[in-house]
Amino acid sequence: MVRRFLVFAAGLLLTAPLAAAVLTVRVVDAAGRPVRDAVVTFYPSAGARTPRPGGHYVISQQNLQFHPFLTIVPVGADISFPNFDNTKHHVYSFSPAKRFELKLFAKDQSRTVHFEKAGVVALGCNIHDQMSAFIVVADSAWTARTNAQGTVEFGDAPNAPGRITVWHPYLRAPNGTMQQGLALNQHSASFSVRLRPPPPSMPMDY
Amino acid sequence: MGLVARCMAIKNALPLGCTLAALWPSSAAASDLRLFTPDTLEINGDVRLVAVDGEKGWLDGGFGKLRSGSGDGLKVQPELGNVDLVWQPQFSWSLSATIVGSLEGGERTQAGLSQAYLTFRPMRSRSGASFTARAGLMWPPISLEHEGADWHVADSITPSAINSWIAEEVRPVAVEGTVATTLGSSKLRATAAVFTANDTAGALLTFRGWTLQDRTTLAFNRWPLPPLGDDIASLQAPFTHPLLDVHDGFAHRPGYYAKLSWQAPFPLRVELFRYDNRANPQDMNAELEWGWNTQFNNLGIVAKLDGGTELKAQALEGRTRMGFLEDGRRWIDNRFRSAFVMLERPFGPYGISLRADAFGTHNRGSLWTDEYDEHGWSAMLAAKRQFGPITGLLELLHVGSDSPARQLSEEDPRQRQTQLQAEIRMHW
Repeated sequence: MVRRFLVFAAGLLLTAPLAAAVLTVRVVDAAGRPVRDAVVTFYPSAGARTPRPGGHYVISQQNLQFHPFLTIVPVGADISFPNFDNTKHHVYSFSPAKRFELKLFAKDQSRTVHFEKAGVVALGCNIHDQMSAFIVVADSAWTARTNAQGTVEFGDAPNAPGRITVWHPYLRAPNGTMQQGLALNQHSASFSVRLRPPPPSMPMDY
Repeated sequence: MGLVARCMAIKNALPLGCTLAALWPSSAAASDLRLFTPDTLEINGDVRLVAVDGEKGWLDGGFGKLRSGSGDGLKVQPELGNVDLVWQPQFSWSLSATIVGSLEGGERTQAGLSQAYLTFRPMRSRSGASFTARAGLMWPPISLEHEGADWHVADSITPSAINSWIAEEVRPVAVEGTVATTLGSSKLRATAAVFTANDTAGALLTFRGWTLQDRTTLAFNRWPLPPLGDDIASLQAPFTHPLLDVHDGFAHRPGYYAKLSWQAPFPLRVELFRYDNRANPQDMNAELEWGWNTQFNNLGIVAKLDGGTELKAQALEGRTRMGFLEDGRRWIDNRFRSAFVMLERPFGPYGISLRADAFGTHNRGSLWTDEYDEHGWSAMLAAKRQFGPITGLLELLHVGSDSPARQLSEEDPRQRQTQLQAEIRMHW
């Protein structure tokens, strides 16, 4: 009887939603200045949730640049790549999360790519070396970029232990990623990161 | 068996034929074939209102430094500028062509073929290294002021003295390869080319001197030379064809150019360019056009400064020789040099450009001596605003020069010219 009760109680604990809490993550550089546009992801050990899959996003090419430079999408998203430049582009990625090529499409033409695997996708143009952008394909519902103050707030993060990762395109760390553990009842974390200077955006093509 | 493999299996197959076959689209790439789709065609053109004073223009038989000249006080007139029809057919995703036909208005309105070349650009390697090849009639990658398939001046109407001369006399038939790679946080780009049909480069620069104008050479067309004086006029045609192989047999004496470009980890790019047409200065054709043995080096710098200001600078120094040796000196031995610095900065919807130019020649020839040395300078202020497919440009240009060759047409060697141009540039 007691054993059946304990099993029932354990079942309740496992199935009951964990209490939500605000989780604040701050990212600063070595000098203590806030780092914006770092992508913070929280992976709780219990209560993990994937973002709502799918959706349609746009990364345009204009003035020989990708816009926006950084895009966060859920697994299963479709991204269109409209070209608004007077020249053709050849968009590609060699990233393991998504390898693709969009060969030579002209002004006002667009191509769409489906992103089915989580990870970071680095974009380039085979014709214009200076074009660069990044897509973070997220597999956790608690994924966001830091604001100008270098902070991210997850208002509905489960109060559970877990793991927090921070990625930035110029972060000096393997794969541009740092991580740290989060304890139960810990509602804030902070990262001190070292960044490379962004590569200058200067055309070298002729 | 693939096309390349079949070629390799056939004994005595021509290597060039196999290469071309490999570049040509296979059936799998047939969907990439785009010959006359709207994206393969574009038309760019401009009309301008020109107010200019000073001497007669060089296209009008004078020594004028600008595209237009006056010769009689201030002259104000509307002009057709340059109209370019650009056709860029795509044979496969990696192989395309660029064909540009141009109509250039004003003095001596002319039309013709401006560029015609193939571009082969395969997918870069996973390490990021890329390769590009071009072959045909094209400008070498020297100018920091020109851009686009039609090679138009980007931020002003009139290019610097250096790039005005490149547009006039340095446009060979070339085969060019470029490799680009990333080294840490830097980028390197190396270009090498062999070329032909540019044997007369230097003739216009020597006899007329430097100019600042946006006329470009068209295939098979010729430029007039200014009055040459009795000694030279009996030896040299009164015109020059920039696209000409004077040496016996086509491409039997090819020239070369090479370029190294380094993009620093910070916003600075440095370019070094070397050109040598290897022309025989004693070669001459039936029309009395000569081989001009011409070499030059060009240094280019692009830097982004604070506040969105961009700095562009070029410095070019070279030498051109023509004719036979007399007392150890060629008939013509002209050392030429020029440099400019340009600052560009956005002010609201406007782009403002400011440029200072200096140029000169030093002659040590037996027929064209140091009494023909030229020195000059110019200053330019330009404003640009984009309205969709239309671009408006306003440019004020002043040039002053001392060129004793003007005495051959009984003009004062020292001349100053000021030109104000308002241009509407359209793109379809």
